[in-house]
Amino acid sequence: MSTELVIEVNNLSKTFKKENHRVDSLRSFILNRKKNTTDSGKELKALRNINFEIKKGETFGIIGRNGSGKSTLIHLIIGCMKPDKGGYVKTKGKILRLALGLGMDPNLTARDNIYINGSVLGLSFKEIGQRFDDILDYAGLQEFVDTPIKNFSKGMQARLKFSIAMYAKADIFLLDEFFGGVGDEEFKLKSNDAFNKSIVDQKTIVIISHNKQIIKKHCDRVLWIDKGSIKMLGPSEDVLKAYQESFIKLSATT
Amino acid sequence: MSSQSSISLVNFLPESNRLERIWKLAQTDFKKRYFNTKLGVLWALINPIFRLTVYLFVFSYLGGFNSENFGLYIFSALILWMSFSETTIRSINTLKQKRYLLENIQFNIVDLFISNTISVLLGFLFNLLAYMIVALIMGISFSVSLLWLPILLLILAFINMGVSMILASINIYIKDIHHLWDMMLFAGFWTIPSIFPLENFTGVLQYLIYLNPLGGILINFRNIALYNLPIDFYFLGHCLLYAIALFLIGLLLIKRHWQNALERF
Repeated sequence: MSTELVIEVNNLSKTFKKENHRVDSLRSFILNRKKNTTDSGKELKALRNINFEIKKGETFGIIGRNGSGKSTLIHLIIGCMKPDKGGYVKTKGKILRLALGLGMDPNLTARDNIYINGSVLGLSFKEIGQRFDDILDYAGLQEFVDTPIKNFSKGMQARLKFSIAMYAKADIFLLDEFFGGVGDEEFKLKSNDAFNKSIVDQKTIVIISHNKQIIKKHCDRVLWIDKGSIKMLGPSEDVLKAYQESFIKLSATT
Repeated sequence: MSSQSSISLVNFLPESNRLERIWKLAQTDFKKRYFNTKLGVLWALINPIFRLTVYLFVFSYLGGFNSENFGLYIFSALILWMSFSETTIRSINTLKQKRYLLENIQFNIVDLFISNTISVLLGFLFNLLAYMIVALIMGISFSVSLLWLPILLLILAFINMGVSMILASINIYIKDIHHLWDMMLFAGFWTIPSIFPLENFTGVLQYLIYLNPLGGILINFRNIALYNLPIDFYFLGHCLLYAIALFLIGLLLIKRHWQNALERF
């Protein structure tokens, strides 16, 4: 593992406006004007002052309950959402997020999706062509190459995505609740295997999950977020232990 | 985000795969639109020809309105205007439709609009081909000024892209923009000499042509592809200025606002 930073999260906050009457049509735009209400509605702090860094080649876990802000954090890292002023995310290299049922156009065939995804991930069409059969083989989908993805099962979609990811040139993988659901047992073994071989090599992996087993198995360090703030950041053993204890406490008090 | 801007700079370099990707997105978009239908790509032709028939019936037959090559006269306006309206209407919702990409991969947002524009332009080329074939049959003669055609189409593409990006940006905040845009498109068609002759646009009416970014394109298209006249540089400059301004405004708006789209859909 090098000391080069690939993800740098600095003082990151994200506030969503939960306006009761959000101005998203002309009608409300005009009406709100008239009333001149400064009704800002409720604000939801999804993330507060998050700071952490991920080094190149590291396998990093992010853990937290539903609604703790994990997804918002991912959106900010990918850059498809803007953080609040004052905070920033710096990333280095191409990022791919793997989540079930996302990232592919359901109306396109496996072939087109492989080309589009592969291309966005930095491969030329020539390179994709060279790897095309391998990608299909790995996913076990040779017979369905010209079938629209919408006819695939969740497991098949996940396998295809994982396979594209394996051969693509992404530098950082965000595995967003990706495991646990991926395909059949055989493919689980295969993908596990991949972790120990090619994919891990020089690549940075961020695993977002509530599954403690997966985090424990793969991650060097873990970030635990709770209600939008960092609860703990450190070696996986320690963080997972504390996370586990918080559940016991919770069930004891309720 | 500094890292992102550096990525997009690298992507502009010739050795990158950006052009391939834009082409693939345009191609799959085109396929999705036409290839799942019975008549396939013929639809790109049937729609404007149907409209042409209606206009000819109304204006020539019922209205007694006629001039030489009236059919080609209307058809030229129809195909140009339809490429504009199709691109812009399709682009209004493109951030939502391509959410699957934006949420999972760092993606240059402008590529979406370039590929949308190319995808519609592919259909337009079929119409253009039909126009040219009919024009040759009707004995229209062309001169060297026809060489201006690719430049006119490039200007058209930039206008389409610019307006698309502006509309998609507005749509993030004001969801009913497409109703409004529908009406604008309906009215806009009549502010240029699409069916009535240029000579009718006198006095204050001539400003209507200037208000419409496609006015200069249509007039010049007819000059070179119908009347065998030289290009009109005054109107060429007019639509070129529109193309530059609209494209830059659109670029600025979409770059600044697209990241707000996800939390509002």
